[in-house]
Amino acid sequence: MDFDFTDDQASLRDAVQRWVDKGFAFERRHAIAKAGGRTRDVYRELAELGLTGLAVPADHGGLGFGAVEAMVVMEELGRGLVNAPYGAAALVAPALLAQGDAALQCAWLPRIADGSALVILAQQERGARYRLDAPSTVATQSAGGWALSGQKCLVPAGDEADAFLVPARVGPHAIGPLGLFLVERDRCSVRGYPTQDGARAADLGLAAAPASLVLADASAAIQLGMDVGIAASCAEAVGLMDKLVALTVEYMNTRKQFGVAIASFQALRHRMADVKMQLELARSMSYYASLKLGEPAAQRRRALSQAKVQLGRSMRLVGQECIQLHGGIGVTDDVSVSHYFKRLTMLEMAYGDTLHHLGEVSERMQDSAGVFA
Amino acid sequence: MDLTFTAEETALRQQIRSWVAANLPPDISHKVLHALHLTREDHQRWARLLGKQGWLGWGWPTEFGGPGWNAVQRHLFEEECALAGAPRVMPFGPVMVAPVIMAFGTAAQQRRFLPGIASGDVWWSQGYSEPGAGSDLASLKCKAERKGDYYVVNGQKTWTTLGQYGEWIFCLVRTSNEGKPQTGISFLLIDMKTPGVTVRPIVMLDGGHEVNEVWFDDVEVPADQLIGEENKGWTYAKHLLSHERTNIADVNRAKRELERLKRIAKAEGIWDDLRFRDQVALLEVDIVALEMMVLRVLSAETAGKQSLDIAGLLKIRGSEIQQRYSELMMLAGGPFTLPFIQEAMAAGWQGDHVGAAHCAPLASIYFNYRKTTIYGGSNEVQRNIVAQTLLGS
Repeated sequence: MDFDFTDDQASLRDAVQRWVDKGFAFERRHAIAKAGGRTRDVYRELAELGLTGLAVPADHGGLGFGAVEAMVVMEELGRGLVNAPYGAAALVAPALLAQGDAALQCAWLPRIADGSALVILAQQERGARYRLDAPSTVATQSAGGWALSGQKCLVPAGDEADAFLVPARVGPHAIGPLGLFLVERDRCSVRGYPTQDGARAADLGLAAAPASLVLADASAAIQLGMDVGIAASCAEAVGLMDKLVALTVEYMNTRKQFGVAIASFQALRHRMADVKMQLELARSMSYYASLKLGEPAAQRRRALSQAKVQLGRSMRLVGQECIQLHGGIGVTDDVSVSHYFKRLTMLEMAYGDTLHHLGEVSERMQDSAGVFA
Repeated sequence: MDLTFTAEETALRQQIRSWVAANLPPDISHKVLHALHLTREDHQRWARLLGKQGWLGWGWPTEFGGPGWNAVQRHLFEEECALAGAPRVMPFGPVMVAPVIMAFGTAAQQRRFLPGIASGDVWWSQGYSEPGAGSDLASLKCKAERKGDYYVVNGQKTWTTLGQYGEWIFCLVRTSNEGKPQTGISFLLIDMKTPGVTVRPIVMLDGGHEVNEVWFDDVEVPADQLIGEENKGWTYAKHLLSHERTNIADVNRAKRELERLKRIAKAEGIWDDLRFRDQVALLEVDIVALEMMVLRVLSAETAGKQSLDIAGLLKIRGSEIQQRYSELMMLAGGPFTLPFIQEAMAAGWQGDHVGAAHCAPLASIYFNYRKTTIYGGSNEVQRNIVAQTLLGS
């Protein structure tokens, strides 16, 4: 039982923190968001720091680090409100590829590791909500190879990506097993747009788009990829909330009304106690999410959904309360707190929202429960 | 960072589990697992069994005959006892007064009082709250005047849990009105059989007799029953409160009660109602999150680090969860929790239950558990403390 970070993990955290402090002030993020949310330059800087290879195995040019290192980086990127698609590109994509075709691994993992390729999971479809098992996108095989037809939407940083990992039904009509395919960007039509949280997403049109098979019967692999995404988003949320709470504490001790700092008002102090509670429950469950990623699928799935439920509730309460405690200034675009709030709000929807995961927890309840159940 | 117990910890857990399985009387665990009434004799029987094993003072260092367990080991013990359906150990002796006697008592006081606490033979009560001193405990008025070799105590204590069984009581008493209220308080040990001590029951909203008023009318207490120095009692009381912060979250019992909630919900046919089951799922997430928070605090304590600033959150969350599971159990029982038949809450009642037997105590427990966010420092006082750490004073 140990919740400490190793010296190496602490150095990793310091490195990301230093980069954020030096190179990613709120003004830069604000300018990026105003200009439409393109962050490939930011991603390139993360690559220069060596971070893009974090989850790629060493024999493909990466660092081969584990879930705790990923969590550390995500926390710091959250704290810095960094709007580059690090979780999706550097954590989820390698986790998916690593379970699939060896040749594709050799072709793409080194490029993911050095940051030259941005590969993103494109699982969202209209009408599917958070279901993964029945996409309407279909994969057909001919002498020339695989081709995908269908539409995907809300792909993070989609119009800046180089390739997509696309779940599709195999076979023209029947509900075949779920396959995972890699589609290069120039093989599909891409329509990008800015998102509420200062980044970008895109819709993909696949019209018999040539594709490479990463993995047939990929349900379990895709689920693992989504769980890696959940853990990453939980950690990012903890970083976001940590900073947002710190900003709010600072504000409450500076802002004066009725001649005194507003931090002296008990009505506000109790709200902050509730905020602190939600922050620490969230941090606890973010640790839990990362530490359970390596468990067998049933335990992992239950744990990750439990974590996402807690994080969803915490993000909402912490975000809303910190805006409220800032008063009028909190609802302007000029201050970073409103941007933290928006990112937290959008993160609730990433990899399944609170209600979806509550349903998962509800379905998976056993007679006994607990951290070790 | 890792979420596993060491081989030694796992072995200890196994040792505790086997011992509890072999020694916890089934009639007692039956009562606990079905939320039936426990008698004084039930509590004493279990306390003496633990005492014989040297585990009643499970948080004690070896120099006082305890097992010398660290925070994680203590947690394992508490968890194994709770999950097996052992009664909650009455904390007043082994958990509350004993550490104060160890830290601030004389060698003679340690020899005199600790053995009876360790064996479970002596039932201790707590005399802190007064009618006018609840959250503002330092405003207490119960007076002790030094007269020769005695203190003469006059005043009243209240909310004394199971004081009707008490043999000794540790009290905070006022020995001076000089200076700040905190500086005139002393820590006295009082034999409850001393002439002038009167215990009067307070019947609670659940109909139970769990707490009492304790009156002191010219009670003569030998001066050698003062702990430490006169007027330093507040410091000792704070020392007491700093003990067992994780246990107060009661997460182990919450896990056990969650299992019971599921059993009741299934038996009552409401488990398949997704609107209800989602509420249980939310509670399950709450409990896992609380357990993770407890483990974080334990691990920091065991590593000898300064306690995390989250320890204060544990009481708030733990008590809210206790209330929530008692509430959901009552809702699962629905209208069949309406009858108020006190005999039906005792083991072995042969009468006709209205509805399933497990419904009989549910409403009373729900009513009773309103206390959890009030006692031990109300949750609002706890929020003040959390806010102070976060925002400064």
